[in-house]
Amino acid sequence: MNEKEISEVNRDFQKGLYTGISVFILLCVVGRSKEPIYGYQIAKIIEKDNEDIPIIKLGTLYPVLRSLEKNGLLESKVDPSVTGPPRRYYRITELGNQTLVELRKTWQRATTFIDSIMIGAENGK
Amino acid sequence: MVNNIDSYLQQLRKELANCDRATIQDALSDAEEYLRNAVDILKASKPDLADEIVFASVMQEYGTPAEIADAYRKIEAHSSPSLAVRTQKANRPFVSRFFGVVTEPRAWGALLYLLFTLATGIIYFTWTVTGISLSLGLLILIIGIPIAGVFILSTRGLALLEGRLVEALLGIRMPHRPLFSKNDKGVWAKFKALITDRYTWLSMVYMLIQLPLGIFYFTLFVTLISVSLGLVASPILELVFKEPMFTANGSMYFFNGWVMPIVVIVGVLLFFATLHLAKAIGIFHGNLAKAMLVRE
Repeated sequence: MNEKEISEVNRDFQKGLYTGISVFILLCVVGRSKEPIYGYQIAKIIEKDNEDIPIIKLGTLYPVLRSLEKNGLLESKVDPSVTGPPRRYYRITELGNQTLVELRKTWQRATTFIDSIMIGAENGK
Repeated sequence: MVNNIDSYLQQLRKELANCDRATIQDALSDAEEYLRNAVDILKASKPDLADEIVFASVMQEYGTPAEIADAYRKIEAHSSPSLAVRTQKANRPFVSRFFGVVTEPRAWGALLYLLFTLATGIIYFTWTVTGISLSLGLLILIIGIPIAGVFILSTRGLALLEGRLVEALLGIRMPHRPLFSKNDKGVWAKFKALITDRYTWLSMVYMLIQLPLGIFYFTLFVTLISVSLGLVASPILELVFKEPMFTANGSMYFFNGWVMPIVVIVGVLLFFATLHLAKAIGIFHGNLAKAMLVRE
């Protein structure tokens, strides 16, 4: 396998990984924000924390936000802004907070599991 | 070639062509919100960059129309079409489904909407008829044209408002934002775009038929509700207040004692059936509104 193929596999891996946990990421970002927050701000926070990961297209976060709202994990209201188009502000709901607690536990279990797998693989070398 | 916000939105609309209309409108509004914010902020920080370069770098981060359309399609495919429609309870027994309607906000919302349609129907009808005749009548003079323009714009406002009512009470997804209109066109071009838009005429027809529909809904449901409540209350009326069930040719008719429980049961059943009917007509009317008020 040459270098190009390795980086391609790695890119696919990252893409799948971040797509899979996008619900978790968005719930974390909206959940930790004290004020209601709109799509562009959410996108910028995610981008700021992950400048080296340009894999997630910021626009793909919006449909996830909508579906979280549909499922009652987030709630939103539209505010007309003075400049530009009206903005949709999101806030986490009680159900969303409960879900986030569960997702955090799952995530911690997963990282523990992955760590143990990685250590096992290194020891077996 | 996609090199500014307008062409981006057009391309996105094209990519989403076979999706639910409300999804398209949401996708466009999300994209517009992000792109306008991002372009404004990037321009403010780097004023010497060319517009195309600014847009290209913003799009790079947001994703191309094809990528975004793909994301919306994927997510819409496995999320329920509307918060209000819950289908997972379909396998409940018939009795609990029949009487459970009383706990459904959607049934009560529909009933409220259908009764309320008489009032909104009168307002829409009067406004539309006045607007059309005033515009047409004054068209011979030049002032008919601006009046027609203002009138058509007001129809769009009413259509958006009606959409909010439909979504709130009937649980059918409707647009949340006014239609996107370009700012770089002249007044005359905007006017022509309004006139040639099928959506303009469909919303006007909708406003007109709201009145007959409103009369029909109102009559139907006021009758059904009063008959069912009257049946339920008939023992009290007959035994306590000595009121007859009905009067014909000067004679008063009363129910026999043994019929009374049956009459009460029929009244109760009729009331629940009325709620079911309201829910069903609500869904029909919501879909009608969606077909006529939401642009394809």
